[in-house]
Amino acid sequence: MESATTTLEPLFAFLAHSLTTVESTFNKLPGSAVILRYVRSSHQNDPGRTLLELILVIFAIRTLLQSRTRADRNGKHFIQFSDKEVDELVDEWTPEPLGQPLTAQEQADLGAVPIVAGPNGPKPKLVSSGKTALNLASFNFTGLAGNEDIKQKAVDTLRKYGLGSCGPPGFYGTLDVHMDLERDIADFLGTEASILYSQGFSTISSVIPAFCKRGDIIVADRGVNFAIQKGIQISRSTVRWFDHNDLKSLDEVLEGVEKERKKRRGPLTRRFIITEGIFEKDGAMVDLPKLIELKYKHKYRLILDESFSFGAVGRTGRGLTELYNVPASKVDMLLGSVAIGLCSAGGFCAGSQIVVDHQRINGPSFVFSASMPALLAVSASEGINILRSTPSILTALQENVRAARAILDRVDCITIPSHPASPVIHIHVRSPSSPAASSLHPATASVMSPKHHHSNPSSILPRDASKWNWDIEGEERMLQDVVEECLAQGVMVTRAKRLRGQEMVEARPSLRLALTSALTKKETEKAVGVVKAALVKVISRRR
Amino acid sequence: MPMSSPLPSPMALNKPQSPSMFKKRSTQSLAPTSAASYLSALSQADARARNGNPTSSPTSTPALSLSSSVTSSSEDTVLNEFELDNVDGLSLPMHPPTSEQVFTTVHSEFGHCANEEYRLTSQHTPGALVTGHVDQDPPYYILLSTYISYLILIVLGHIRDFIGKRLKSGAYKHLMPRDGYAPLNSDFDSFYTRRLKTRMDECFSQPVTGVAGRTILLLDRISPDYNHTQIFTGTRTRALNISSYNYLGFAQGRGGCADAVEESIKRYGISSCGSRLEGGSSDLHTASEALVARFVGMEDALISSMGFATNSTIIPALVGKGCLVISDELNHASIRFGVRISGAVVRMFKHNDMKSLENLLKEVISQGQPKTHRPWKKILIIVEGLYSMEGTLVNLPAIIELKKKYKSTLRLTVGDAYNHPGPAPSSSLPLWLSLPPSLLSGTEGDTRIRRLAFNSRYLHNGLIKLGFITYGHPASPIVPILLFNPGKMNMFHRMMKDRQTPIVVVVVAYPATPLVTSRVRFCVSAAHTKDDIDCVLRACDDIGDVLDLKHGIPKGERWTIEDVVSRAADVANL
Repeated sequence: MESATTTLEPLFAFLAHSLTTVESTFNKLPGSAVILRYVRSSHQNDPGRTLLELILVIFAIRTLLQSRTRADRNGKHFIQFSDKEVDELVDEWTPEPLGQPLTAQEQADLGAVPIVAGPNGPKPKLVSSGKTALNLASFNFTGLAGNEDIKQKAVDTLRKYGLGSCGPPGFYGTLDVHMDLERDIADFLGTEASILYSQGFSTISSVIPAFCKRGDIIVADRGVNFAIQKGIQISRSTVRWFDHNDLKSLDEVLEGVEKERKKRRGPLTRRFIITEGIFEKDGAMVDLPKLIELKYKHKYRLILDESFSFGAVGRTGRGLTELYNVPASKVDMLLGSVAIGLCSAGGFCAGSQIVVDHQRINGPSFVFSASMPALLAVSASEGINILRSTPSILTALQENVRAARAILDRVDCITIPSHPASPVIHIHVRSPSSPAASSLHPATASVMSPKHHHSNPSSILPRDASKWNWDIEGEERMLQDVVEECLAQGVMVTRAKRLRGQEMVEARPSLRLALTSALTKKETEKAVGVVKAALVKVISRRR
Repeated sequence: MPMSSPLPSPMALNKPQSPSMFKKRSTQSLAPTSAASYLSALSQADARARNGNPTSSPTSTPALSLSSSVTSSSEDTVLNEFELDNVDGLSLPMHPPTSEQVFTTVHSEFGHCANEEYRLTSQHTPGALVTGHVDQDPPYYILLSTYISYLILIVLGHIRDFIGKRLKSGAYKHLMPRDGYAPLNSDFDSFYTRRLKTRMDECFSQPVTGVAGRTILLLDRISPDYNHTQIFTGTRTRALNISSYNYLGFAQGRGGCADAVEESIKRYGISSCGSRLEGGSSDLHTASEALVARFVGMEDALISSMGFATNSTIIPALVGKGCLVISDELNHASIRFGVRISGAVVRMFKHNDMKSLENLLKEVISQGQPKTHRPWKKILIIVEGLYSMEGTLVNLPAIIELKKKYKSTLRLTVGDAYNHPGPAPSSSLPLWLSLPPSLLSGTEGDTRIRRLAFNSRYLHNGLIKLGFITYGHPASPIVPILLFNPGKMNMFHRMMKDRQTPIVVVVVAYPATPLVTSRVRFCVSAAHTKDDIDCVLRACDDIGDVLDLKHGIPKGERWTIEDVVSRAADVANL
């Protein structure tokens, strides 16, 4: 006993020494006396509390030390394996191939994609045949593609700015020509400001997540295009759907959302209506004045995708706002495609200064991608100048649209869901079993069903989705035959290509014509006549 | 186009009369332009480039084979709008060329540098171990002051918000619910932007003009109200550009690439007028896809019209529900975007840490899908070749080993790594149309790659020798210096810009990097000359002393700036 004490003596001395050192250092710290007094008095009042606080501190340390990775190693579904078992499992595992080999049908489709030799335009030369064709497939509404002035401007810009901008807008990628184009677009439309994205497709799928966050409410059309679907998906907002291009249904859904909020007594969150000017899927056109009325009535913000209407309708191609004579400033976020509307590249979002500035920091594809090449921005600015100064271009385009519709509307075996003024014309094969009702992909207006029967707003599928009986493959084959028949006759048209299996809701197969002012009325009539003949020939052969 | 080059172009072999591919096609019948014809010509050129050792080519600079010379001012660049007083030392080379040296580039776009000493070939020896990057830690007082800086910024911001909302509610209108509309921007979400980023807005979104080459023209701006508005003064400043992604220096308003682009605009216009499957495919697409595939040694390639969209739209085509994506924790935002919309499950591993990746692979394969424990349909590992904020190169040999062992699929994103220094025969260039022989044969590309490799290593090793903490692989053209304290970012940026030779730099902080490791990121180009890198090193040395940035190697091992500059070749070869 005695010896144990003597051997431990240095240890005790050391402990005592370190204790006094710790104590004196602690006393030296400013404010330590306060803490000490606090601990002492609290312990005196309630010893249990000291214990509780000690446990809390330990818990806090434990939480901090826990791994930040999301590994669910400790989750209840984790199974412990020995190393040998792990090795066996690894050996056993056979992954699916990264991509399935293409089916014969897919290969044929890919092989049938027309390749243009040389410049694309109203009459391109095709690699497959070596002949020129009348082009009703490419987007060149106002005939800006191949414009010599634009080309000259582009070359001048190339010499002054080089090709690429070599950086994102935040880091020396903002060129003066980008700012000029942004100003040109804002002036052209009549908004406070606009922001330029370097790819058309990425514009809307970037704008939506910049504003719509988790907990916000999006009310969207059932027929919105793929890019919008992706934007909605990544935003993680609560989505409600209204029937395709049916503003009555929109009104009902908006009322439903408000009722729901009042019932839950939820907080006021951001609310958006998302729809398209001219729909990519079928060429239908939204009734903008009515839409704006609803937006104000229910206090929603409007995100309007004008990718297929900017540079296509209106007196000078300003899009739906010009066509309906609505100030563009009433649309909160007005998106358009510079690639389609101005035959350059990229897209834009126009709106108030606050809306635009917000995107400069929060728009993923704006912040994280290189800005567009200078020569494309200058070309687009020049395109706007041309549209502004020559309204005859749009008049000629509308003439062509009317001429085309005059021919197509008289064909029995097809239905056309597109608006009569839309330069994009979609053509469905009329199915003999269910005539008009299913001609339009997501449910047509409620006029169709006499009984007032609502679709479920939480689902993108409309109420009559179960009754859809399109033979997608068959119709696509039929339309592809039409495409090839047209090509043989010297007219280039295309099916509207879809990513089957990736869209939220399958669109009905359609043949898509894109008219252009670069073809004369005579040429347009001739080309559309060929399409009509091909449609009649192929469809009657199939039946 | 001169055909007397020592290395004739493959096009010249096939059809000596045709000045360009365009001509050739228009004279021949419009037979389907097969990729094979491009490729056979291409492989000949590659072989020639490999055989003819470029370092022993008859002339010291490959550009010599062209007869015309371009002095620093040329008729159609923005340069000639200014008088060449060369006060900033950017318009004229520091060492005037001798009578034998003829340069075809504009010095302000692509620097004149004829010294063969300043070239380097960087190559990985097969089988050699790839050494990972070792993070250096700064002294504790730096870390502490960094945290305190952020703390002060955050506290001050909240106090300003609190008082401002009560006294100056007009300025906060856009953050409050108004007439039944929720604010577009909640004040919590935008706190960082309003209270931290705004303070250093002068470092971001600087508008520029002209070619983003070796130098760049800044549109000068001032802010009278603490960065809420920016006013352009109307003047312009030429600055040394060590910020743009211009690895091989092809950002030029003249030269072979620009000429090819001009010709293609004249013949093809600027727009393809539609998506690839809907009438927007051109023969040029087919050709350049074949070319890209050949260059990277793959079966085929797909070209996308935007870098961001390549990742964000192609990943969902490869994986979907029931698949797993294993992603490096520092992968680019576009990859995260793509993975998120693909619907696949994501797991992350520690940046460039092969051990962590292997453990994760073992775990996910043995565990299978969460809850159901069914095996994964596919596992896709996504890494980047070169990380744009770190400068790290992926450990490719190791990761390919792992991939084979665990049967996963590897997807390498080379957005930033493209054109990174390597000994590949580089006869393939973006628009291979009617390039001058020096470009077509690969000699010029090779020189550019070796210049880039030298510049990267020289800057990286030079900074380390001066005592800075850097990140990344020495061969990577992206060279970050760690600054840590948020206040130093603004100062560093301004001090670099206010020097006699203005230098523009990119400073990045949270959220693009972890909170403490704020940094400045240099992006080296083949367009820089050794003198330019000297200039950057001198500037860093000066500013590093003022801002207390040298926390790397111990004082005794450091070199002086004069040592580094005079022994540049040694520094690069360290």
